[in-house]
Amino acid sequence: MFESIQQLLNGFAIATTWQNLFYCLAGAIVGTIVGVLPGLGPIAGIALLIPATFGLNATSAIIMLAGIYYGAMYGGSTTSILINVPGETASVITCIDGYQMAQKGRAGPALAICAIGSFVAGTLGIFGLVFLAPPLAEAALAFGPPEYFSLMVFGFVVLSNVTGGSLLKSLMMAIVGLIIGTVGLDPVTGIARFTFGVTPLLGGVEFVAVAIGLFGIGEVLINVEQPAEQLEQQVLVPRFRELYPTLADLRASIAPILRGTALGFGIGLVPGPAPVIATYASYMVEKRVSNHPEEFGKGAIEGVAGPESANNAACQSAFIPLFVLGIPFAPPTAILLGALLIHGVNPGPGLIAEHPQLFWGVIASMYIGNFILLLLNLPFVPLFANILRVPKKILLPLVILFCITGMYTVNNSIFDIWTMLLFGALGWLMRHWAYEGAPLLLALVLGPKLEVAFRQSLMISHGDFGIFFGRPVSLVFLLATLGFLLMPLWRRLFGLLRARGDGTK
Amino acid sequence: MLLLFGLLTVVLSFQMSISTFRAPGSGLFPLGLGLLLMLLAGCYLGGLYARRAAQPNPPATEAWAPRGGRLPAFLAAMAAATVLLAPLGFPLTAFLLMVALLKTLDMKGWIAILGLSLGTALASHLLFVQWLQIPLPKGWLGL
Repeated sequence: MFESIQQLLNGFAIATTWQNLFYCLAGAIVGTIVGVLPGLGPIAGIALLIPATFGLNATSAIIMLAGIYYGAMYGGSTTSILINVPGETASVITCIDGYQMAQKGRAGPALAICAIGSFVAGTLGIFGLVFLAPPLAEAALAFGPPEYFSLMVFGFVVLSNVTGGSLLKSLMMAIVGLIIGTVGLDPVTGIARFTFGVTPLLGGVEFVAVAIGLFGIGEVLINVEQPAEQLEQQVLVPRFRELYPTLADLRASIAPILRGTALGFGIGLVPGPAPVIATYASYMVEKRVSNHPEEFGKGAIEGVAGPESANNAACQSAFIPLFVLGIPFAPPTAILLGALLIHGVNPGPGLIAEHPQLFWGVIASMYIGNFILLLLNLPFVPLFANILRVPKKILLPLVILFCITGMYTVNNSIFDIWTMLLFGALGWLMRHWAYEGAPLLLALVLGPKLEVAFRQSLMISHGDFGIFFGRPVSLVFLLATLGFLLMPLWRRLFGLLRARGDGTK
Repeated sequence: MLLLFGLLTVVLSFQMSISTFRAPGSGLFPLGLGLLLMLLAGCYLGGLYARRAAQPNPPATEAWAPRGGRLPAFLAAMAAATVLLAPLGFPLTAFLLMVALLKTLDMKGWIAILGLSLGTALASHLLFVQWLQIPLPKGWLGL
């Protein structure tokens, strides 16, 4: 442990050179901007800026690219809160309560809690990264296809429960998302499915198009339907003293931030889109432990504090499998792996010994980067919150223009814009019929991974479904899933019994 | 509608290889999902029917229907912008889209509409094309 502390201090010496501080700052700023722009998430941001790092040494390059990664994760939350457009997948959950807070004139506290929660999670996550990296990475490797399948199924049931609406409707939306996720080439055999001869569909339905369509365009269309006088006025615009969280807000957020950090860090080690699962799991936990669960979905600050912390912590711990095993478990870390290889660094068990300056320098820079993000974002809370002062009749066309532009930039594809518009219309219909978009979106992301895990498990067991129940970790997840599914029935039964008991007294 | 979507998925899945559980084919997973969706949609409809049957005289509810002509015009402007993006290029399409959307939302005064649209088109061109170096369509004008 003392050796780790010594190495971390050396890392701080590397990260605080003027050159590396500059690249850390540049990465955090560019990442925040990239995250704020709809369509340009951390993946596009890192990919676009890899060429800009060619002239740098490996440590400075990765410090800057990592800064873009966590900066974009923060920036994505800003658009979720202000205009209900998730900048990236992990911000979908922030839309639920963050946007509701903004609608009630509490965009400032929501944005500030995002920054504070991200900073706390990032800081604690780095300590976890330093001390727990080797043993936790080994534990994550023990996950095989059956465990992964059961974890995903558990995730779907959890996420179908989180949005507060009908569980049945949410489950149906999750299945629709899974079906849409099967469009494209079969991940196992390479056979085209549901593409109807449309070439762009071979790569699957673009996730960003679905995200921006369902949430961004759908929300705009709902607003367009409003009477003209409502388009003139805007949501409650906060007064200056209401721009920052109150003591009560901070008190309510402490426990969710700590729980979200622990949850996010643990989930970040598991293969898959960890920040996404972490945000959902955190939201679910917060709703379950809350004394006022009915406020979730209507602007509960805990619904922003927990998931945002989980998101940031998961981002930090996702670096463990990348650095220690050389295995990226999420798309942004996969691009970072590419950047490491471009700079002549082979991540894996030997990385810490062979490139200590890079490993410890990048870890220390993450702490500095989180601090920079806090310093950058807290003063800008009033600026971001004042976006809501722009009348809707000006803001809505601007959102549409940014959505179309952002969508095109993902793959330089007009087809993606059509997909986004189609899902925008679907999102508008779903809002009217009280169907939640979040389960569909998350199922779309996790679907292909779920299918691969399912089919691999069956192939391993020669078609025996017992493989999902015979392995302890998998069994635990499946039992937990069953528990979640039966929970509404238990509650109803318990309520009936209690009512009967009260009646007989 | 979801029941039909599930049915369509099942029908299309049967056109693919289902194979066996030992070596699942391409159609097995979507087939299972389609069946599950049909089951859940059936449960939902059944529940709805049971609730209606339990209430012989349900309270009159306001049926939802799309309001006004603003929404189709808004959708048409977005579709037109998508069609025109490649031939006209980004700055001109952005300008025309902003003009159309602002007018659809009853923004008053042509000077304000044209000024705001021009400013937005220029600012987004500077941000995306000049600064972020994103290759947006140049169109006939070559901008």
